[in-house]
Amino acid sequence: MFTLSYYYWFTIYRVQQSSTIYPALKRGLAMLNKKQSRWKITGHDIAGYVFISPWLIGFLLLTLWPILQSFYLSFTDYSLLDSPTWTGTDNYESIFTKDRLFMKSLTVTFTFVLLAVPIKLFFSLMVAILLNKKVRGLNWYRTAIYFPSLIGGSIAVSALWRNMFGLDGYVNHVLSWFGIEGIGWISNPDTALGTLILLNAWQFGSTMVIFLAGLKQIPKDLYESASVDGASKLRQFFKITIPMLSPVMFFNLVLGIINAFQMFTSAFIITQGGPANGTYMYVLFLYEKAFKQYEMGYASALAWILLVIIAAFTAINFLVSKYWVFYESDGGKAK
Amino acid sequence: MKTQRKWLKWLPVTLISVPLVLSGCGSNSGGSAATASTAPAASSAGNADAAAKLKVMWWGSQARHDATLKDLELYTSKNPNVTFAPEYTAWDGYWEKLPTLAASNTLPDVLQMDAAYIQGYAKRGLLADLSDIDLSGVVDSQVLENIKIGGKVYGVPLSYNGQGIVYNKEALEAAGVKLPANDWSWDDFFAYAKEAHEKLPEGQYGIDDMTNIWEFYQYYQTSQGKGPIFKDGTTFNLDKDTWMKFQQIYADFRKDGIVPAADQQLSFKENDPQLDSMASGKVMLRTASVGSASVIESLLPGKLGVNNIPIGEAGGGWAQSTIFLSVSEGSANKEQAKAFIKWFVSDKESGKTLGLTRGIPINEEVFKELEPTLASGDLFAKELLEAAKPKALPFYPAPAGAEDFVKTYKSEMEAVMFGQATLEEAYQTLLDKGKDAEAKLNK
Repeated sequence: MFTLSYYYWFTIYRVQQSSTIYPALKRGLAMLNKKQSRWKITGHDIAGYVFISPWLIGFLLLTLWPILQSFYLSFTDYSLLDSPTWTGTDNYESIFTKDRLFMKSLTVTFTFVLLAVPIKLFFSLMVAILLNKKVRGLNWYRTAIYFPSLIGGSIAVSALWRNMFGLDGYVNHVLSWFGIEGIGWISNPDTALGTLILLNAWQFGSTMVIFLAGLKQIPKDLYESASVDGASKLRQFFKITIPMLSPVMFFNLVLGIINAFQMFTSAFIITQGGPANGTYMYVLFLYEKAFKQYEMGYASALAWILLVIIAAFTAINFLVSKYWVFYESDGGKAK
Repeated sequence: MKTQRKWLKWLPVTLISVPLVLSGCGSNSGGSAATASTAPAASSAGNADAAAKLKVMWWGSQARHDATLKDLELYTSKNPNVTFAPEYTAWDGYWEKLPTLAASNTLPDVLQMDAAYIQGYAKRGLLADLSDIDLSGVVDSQVLENIKIGGKVYGVPLSYNGQGIVYNKEALEAAGVKLPANDWSWDDFFAYAKEAHEKLPEGQYGIDDMTNIWEFYQYYQTSQGKGPIFKDGTTFNLDKDTWMKFQQIYADFRKDGIVPAADQQLSFKENDPQLDSMASGKVMLRTASVGSASVIESLLPGKLGVNNIPIGEAGGGWAQSTIFLSVSEGSANKEQAKAFIKWFVSDKESGKTLGLTRGIPINEEVFKELEPTLASGDLFAKELLEAAKPKALPFYPAPAGAEDFVKTYKSEMEAVMFGQATLEEAYQTLLDKGKDAEAKLNK
């Protein structure tokens, strides 16, 4: 059982991260709306369940069980070395009333989400549009541009970022040509978060690939007839590309927000949450509570609060989506 | 008829899925179970000669890993019935993994322990009493007395550690700054910082800005006989006047440019070839532990001098063992584990294999054996230890349960360094956190 406890944190986000859930959820909701659901289990259903049982049992034991365990633990005081003791809602109370780091890390995380997600989406959309052309050596460009996403939040990247944004870094070197005296971008509490947002935007590869796939799906004849009618390129972009791409944007937005809330690696290896807690991300806070301070109960409570926050953001996203996301299959009506 | 056909339909599905499920579950628990069960014969035998496979775990650098693995091989070649299942990581991963092992009663037979953690593990009954290992002539009896917990030995000390000061002798002499001397006072230390600022070229500093390092302030407080921040590991004891005085000195230093600016200070990274404050040539003096002294020596070879942390009426700094080998209480091979530990610290050949990968060996004889072969960095570490020893105070790590205070000290004092918080505000925050920690420690 102990190995399970090690996975509490990761399982919670694995569930959140699995993108397959959203389409499935949508279909499920649609089924409920149409009242077509049928809860009688037939022989075919059982065959299905048996076939997926290797996965299903793994999911129940290694994912669902730890999640439920962590819910229980969030009401306990558990240091790993001693067995958990029930403390009721103490953890939640002190998180909401006493813990200044909770508020600090939430502020940092919200700032990060609100800035990093739009910047990354904008950036990756622009690059996707540039790459959606017939140019020589296109595959080479695509690979090169995707590359930063592969190295992710590695130690090498943290060294690179320090060389770029450190006190004697390249950025300050370039600034000095213009007579501007630079600052330690990473070691200054006002700018450190900005460098992490840039890092996040730089790793736009997977978002960009999804945009690219979306762009390729837009029928060429739409553009052709628009240009016959005399629509300018800019008008075509706003009247054709953007609406046709809106489902993909929606998908990237939802995933982007969910991922941004769980930003951990770069804050962990580049800044360790510092300076002066300027980059103290929520998940970093959770991690330190769990594995530096061994307050597993408290950390579980933090994980559940994060789950609620992310769920709320996702729900709002889905609610708002009907005002701006355009599905061609719905007969061209914004649904 | 119909039901029968159904059964047949199910059969292949079930046959395929069952082994899959079984193997899936098996691999989950396999990691720990496998090593535990490889020595079933030994678990019943209590004597040191019986065959056993000992699970050994330690943290450290690659050099330590290599040397230790070699040493384990050496032991097995001499005691063929004892083999090892070694597991080794870096510091951080070690202290993440150990509690999960403890929670599941699968701690390794032999495990490396640190002074900051050993009390917590011993008090929970996770470590075996090692008092009956005969260490006379191996470990100094006073040292052994100091590391007892409740009158018993729960970890055999492996090496001496300590904290001292290293300075760039060459650069200070060139600038005509009066060199630090052993047994200097805090006033000498601050006077040195000012003088260095006046005489060194622009952009070079006598000392680091240590405002956000809680241990460094603690040296100041303990040197005056006012005790550590957590007295007896339970009582919060941050002396307000002393703290204010100390922090005010640094605040003035910041204002006058005697210490590096906050954003520069925080971009330093200790022991990094480019980002270390001393190795980069920006700061002329900093603290160093015996364990890491060889690193800075290798970055500035032949240029460094050592002396002790500034002292007060009570002394200053610390010098003692911080790394131990312990045996888990749940181990089925305690006698073999004890015999191995005894050999590990006392055998000369073992000492040669290990070298100084865990610091200055606790066994004087082993060190003498090694001395002629030592590199300059190792000798430098020994020099640092000798400087730290005479006036050393006990080592006061943050007690388990005070992590939140430690974390807050760093971030809150960084806010002070950047002018985002006043000293008065910071003190209030630290006081709150300290009281929280105290409540937790006395639970």
